[in-house]
Amino acid sequence: MKNLAYSLLMISLFTFTACDNDDNPPVVPVDPDPVSENINVTGMLTGVNNWTSDNIYVLNQKVVVDAGATLNIECGTIIKGTAGTGSLASALVVARGGTLNANGTVDCPIIMTSESDNIEVGQTAGTNLGINDRGLWGGLIVLGYAPSSFSGDVSEVQIEGIPADDTFGLYGGNDPSDNSGSITYVSIRHGGALIGEDNEINGLTLGGVGNSTVIDNIEVVANTDDGIEFFGGTVNASNLLVWGQGDDGLDIDQAYSGTIDNAVVVLGDVSDHALEIDGPEGSLNGQFELRNITIIGSQVTEDGEYADYRSNAMGHTTNLYALNFKASSDIELDNDGVANNYNSGLLSFGTFEIVVPEEATIESVFNNKAENVAVDGFGSTASSIAANENTVGANTANLAWSYSNTAAALGW
Amino acid sequence: MKTKTNLTFLTFLLLTFLSYSQSGKITGTLMDGEYDEPMAFASVIVKGTTQGVSSDFDGNYEIELSEGTYTMTYSYVGYQSVEIEDVIVKSNQVTNVDVTLNTNSLETVVITTTLRKNTESAVLDLQKKSAVMLDGLSSQSIKKSGASNIASAVKSVPGVSVQGGKYVYVRGLGDRYTKSILNGMDIPGLDPNRNTIQMDIFPTNILDNIIVIKSASAEYPADFTGGVIDIVTKDFPSKKTNSFSIGHAYNPTMHNNSNYLTSKKSKTDIFGFDNGYRNLPINRYQPIPGTFDNSPSLTTLTSAFNPQLSAQRRTSNSDFSFGFTSGNQFEVGNNRLGYQLSMSYKNTTTFFKDRIDNNLIKNENDSSVNELEAKRISVGDEGINNVLLNGLLGVVYKRDRSKYKLTLLHIQNGESTAGYYYQQVAQGGGGSGFVDVFKDAILYTQRSVSNALIVGTHTRDDGWKTEWKISPTISIVKDLDHKITPFMRTDEGSYGIRPSSSGYPVRIWRDLMEINISSKLSFLKKYTLFDEPAKLKFGGAFTYKTRDFEIDNFSFTSTTQNVENGIADNLLLTENLWTTSNQSGTHMVFGDSYKPANSYEGEQRNLAVYASNEFNISEKLKSIIGLRAENFKSFYTGQNQSGSEIFNNTKIIDKLDIFPSANFIYAVNDNTNFRTSYSISTARPSFKEASRAQIFDAITGRMFIGNLDLRPSYINNFDLRYEIFGDKEEIIAFSSFYKDFKDPIELSFFASAPNQLTPRNLGSANVYGFEFEFRKPLTFLSNEQEKLKFTVNASYIKSSLKMYEDEYNRRVLAARDGEIISKTRDLQGQSPFLINSSFNYKNTDLGVEAGIYYNVQGKTLEVVGTGIVPDVYSSPFHSLNLNLNKTVGKDNNTSIDLKIKNLLNNKKESVYESFNTADQLYSLREYGTEISIGYSLKF
Repeated sequence: MKNLAYSLLMISLFTFTACDNDDNPPVVPVDPDPVSENINVTGMLTGVNNWTSDNIYVLNQKVVVDAGATLNIECGTIIKGTAGTGSLASALVVARGGTLNANGTVDCPIIMTSESDNIEVGQTAGTNLGINDRGLWGGLIVLGYAPSSFSGDVSEVQIEGIPADDTFGLYGGNDPSDNSGSITYVSIRHGGALIGEDNEINGLTLGGVGNSTVIDNIEVVANTDDGIEFFGGTVNASNLLVWGQGDDGLDIDQAYSGTIDNAVVVLGDVSDHALEIDGPEGSLNGQFELRNITIIGSQVTEDGEYADYRSNAMGHTTNLYALNFKASSDIELDNDGVANNYNSGLLSFGTFEIVVPEEATIESVFNNKAENVAVDGFGSTASSIAANENTVGANTANLAWSYSNTAAALGW
Repeated sequence: MKTKTNLTFLTFLLLTFLSYSQSGKITGTLMDGEYDEPMAFASVIVKGTTQGVSSDFDGNYEIELSEGTYTMTYSYVGYQSVEIEDVIVKSNQVTNVDVTLNTNSLETVVITTTLRKNTESAVLDLQKKSAVMLDGLSSQSIKKSGASNIASAVKSVPGVSVQGGKYVYVRGLGDRYTKSILNGMDIPGLDPNRNTIQMDIFPTNILDNIIVIKSASAEYPADFTGGVIDIVTKDFPSKKTNSFSIGHAYNPTMHNNSNYLTSKKSKTDIFGFDNGYRNLPINRYQPIPGTFDNSPSLTTLTSAFNPQLSAQRRTSNSDFSFGFTSGNQFEVGNNRLGYQLSMSYKNTTTFFKDRIDNNLIKNENDSSVNELEAKRISVGDEGINNVLLNGLLGVVYKRDRSKYKLTLLHIQNGESTAGYYYQQVAQGGGGSGFVDVFKDAILYTQRSVSNALIVGTHTRDDGWKTEWKISPTISIVKDLDHKITPFMRTDEGSYGIRPSSSGYPVRIWRDLMEINISSKLSFLKKYTLFDEPAKLKFGGAFTYKTRDFEIDNFSFTSTTQNVENGIADNLLLTENLWTTSNQSGTHMVFGDSYKPANSYEGEQRNLAVYASNEFNISEKLKSIIGLRAENFKSFYTGQNQSGSEIFNNTKIIDKLDIFPSANFIYAVNDNTNFRTSYSISTARPSFKEASRAQIFDAITGRMFIGNLDLRPSYINNFDLRYEIFGDKEEIIAFSSFYKDFKDPIELSFFASAPNQLTPRNLGSANVYGFEFEFRKPLTFLSNEQEKLKFTVNASYIKSSLKMYEDEYNRRVLAARDGEIISKTRDLQGQSPFLINSSFNYKNTDLGVEAGIYYNVQGKTLEVVGTGIVPDVYSSPFHSLNLNLNKTVGKDNNTSIDLKIKNLLNNKKESVYESFNTADQLYSLREYGTEISIGYSLKF
């Protein structure tokens, strides 16, 4: 009885204290962020907007270039995203029908980074962040009306992490030559904030972007998720560099059907695949072209494969140069679907030159994991070469302007 | 029976108690058979003597007599008198005689007492005479069935099904359409994603009975369509009664199993609540620094979190329970004071070995392929410890013409879950790019309901009765420190955090508090209309509800991303934390903080007035015609994700509606009724539905989006019922119903984002169904000592919902070759058929009762498919339970129960159904067979 009375008492005490649960621990002071003369931007941009290099623009949560709106970013402009995850994650989103003209130059790149980056107006790099500082803000998301192959054969989908009633998050459509503007000489650093369950923002997300859009000379550094992910669309992209990402370097999905020319992926300590290629998710097919690619592996990362061709991947990969991968790393046909595509020619390979690690052979690099489909000649277009003896691969000189070239001492 | 009366139904209840006086007593309750309510101020006379008393306004009477055999006469003006012969009064004993008085005859009915113990007849009686269509379950029949909570008890009512062991559906309609009330008053919900309260936390020992009302009448709230489940708690007893009970259950599949999973507990877990052990250890507005800040506070903050992340293997306990009740009443001057105290404690342990939870989809690329492909295959073990503690205190003070009642109820529930799962997650569409994920999950959910009810009833000789009720309730549910720690196994066999493939390790807190204040004032006047008794009721009610919901979540990562051996506990070991000196290890994810968009507050006010008139149109045709007006207002405080729209207690809905209702009962003959009813009811958006909410819920992985344009839906309800009552609890009843929904509110997804849900007013829906009920004592065994009774009820329900365009389009796009997509589908959670049946054997000489109970519900749409994701149906679960009860000892005051649950060892299974392909498993749980034994003592 005493125990019962005690527990009753405990319950009644609990009921009272439960209503008054604001006995939160105090906020632990953290070093304040560097104070700078910044222009805070948030929400929807409409009409024509010009961002100039004498300011630092700070993105609070999502900043959206709405349909019909234009954002012109002057060369040398620094854009910083605030910290935050989920609904608070910062990102620059170009909605369908919006236009982003972000044109830097070799000497005057546009830099998108974290608010924590101490880079200042007129500089091209800060000093306080390194290659392992990932996920400090979101990323750049460009969405368009170009055809994409979606699960369930719907014609448009919502980019992950944006509420579906905010229609600026939609991408996909029927206009292959859609134009989202021109994005050149842009360096995107330290992004990839978590926006939903198992979901982080890529450095550059291209969702259903059409081929009138210019994507050229883009660098993504230290992003939590993929460096650049192509969700469907037809846009062509050239001179791409991804370094030290948390997931894959270049990621292709939803029947992306443009050409990626001259791209480099440099894996970091926690990177996954250099190339991750998926196929259409619906019945609409489309083939990518990947050419003049250099991928540089890491001996540290646990994963770090060369390339993974998965699901129903279809397209052509050629003139690829790979070096510094681990002996256990492979180029993989992941399942029956992709192996069938290989056999039918929907997925094909041109010249591959690989600096094969000592314990591996050129044959062991190519791995058909399909359970029921045998393939013939997978890897036959590849050759084993010595380092720097390559005749194919990216023209790295084009990317000498990049931050990575200096910071990772790539020597281009 | 020599009268023409349409009712002669008497209930006798004999209870014997020890008493210290030399004479004996007759006590009982007089019921007004016309209205199914206590008959006040009726006269009780001992025939052939001058001794007599009046019933009080609760219909209770008590008369003290010396030992002997008496004939009792019960009478009231306008009602037929009842004489009961051979009422035996023994020294030191109390004889209980309950009598129902009826109209329509001036003749006296003479009955010779046959002493029967069965309150089921009281409920049947209620059913027979009630003007509205209802079903009831007495505490006694619940006890017999062995059900330990309301959810398992109520499913034996025709047309009632229970989803997930928690949520009650009446006539295929759940959540929004089925209302649960406590002692006639609104109670708040306990689930952030539902409108109604889960019923499994209400233990049966607090119950007097459960009434399921299926047709509307003006005095009931207008916002129910399927049914109202009224949980009626115990009243105080007529005599001093104390009881103590203890129970133990053993399930060979789950108990004493050394693979059971558990986690470290707080000291007060045993009482159903956490003592602060699982509180959020940092301030929710705490900025989380990055490693680049090189701040020691990152280590301080990371280490503030409880480091135990691994579910631990231990041997499982079995279930145990105990309970205590005490009640009495006293004379206080000329008045009477009674109390009822009830407490119970239950501790149950559930272990699901190899529970399966799969996600499958149709082939995305080729619609000629019918086979489903895996997106995620999950198998794992899960241990659940559930503590349910409750206390009920009722105090009643009765004066000559007034009664005041205070009831305090607290239910405390703590549920602690630990699981370890192996998952294969497809990274590249269905069936492709599988990675191996190992996931530890440690969850704790604490729920409580605290309710007070104050009722005053005042009666006057001239037939007026006034009742007022005030009932505040606080319900709280807290998800405290849900720890979910997933690691991916790499091809090389190491384990690590892979945000993109398996997600970050995460800690989640969710907090929901709902306060509800219900009040009601009702007037009742009995009078005569067309020379027949009539009853006018009118009154008003006001309900105020507010709900507050918040989520906090924080993620963890590691600079190396690797976790040694994939052991979750290694993640937060002090030596593995990132520090300014080692610059390597586990730390909180930068920038994670409280997201205001994930919280909201809602407020709803409902003011109602009603009037209804119950009268006899002819001798055989009785009617209740009523009108109810409700003014419903809903307010919302919250914001959208971008913060561009902020609402501060903004009024979203303000509606004034009139709800007519009509019920008719035609007495075909003494024992046969034909009933029909019509009413308009409503279903309203919940707190967060009519809002601008854009809430991402890390537990469900879904985004909920509110809809400011949401309107209440209105439903036309039609009912028919034909019922034949026989002698001795015999009944055959056929019912049918049709419900037509205007603007039904259904949670639907976006075509562009199937994991984002929003409530919408859909085009239309309708539900129709048939119910059959049959109860019969099997006469070949029916003598005074031995009885065998057979009960069966069955329902067939068909619902049809016109799909939202997006849903239909997605289904068409994802259709397989040759598959035809319908524009309509079942309502989620509705079972096409329900069957309950039981055999009961009782031998009063031996004090033995035995029963066998069977329950099944047809396959039910559990998860609405999104086109490429097929629909999920829960398969029928054949529940067969056996109960044995034996009373022994002096005055049968000791009782021993033996129960066997799930004799058929059925598994709970849900499957994906897709065109021209075999069903594929969605989820599987093995419940095993449970044997329990109980002992109770009355003193």
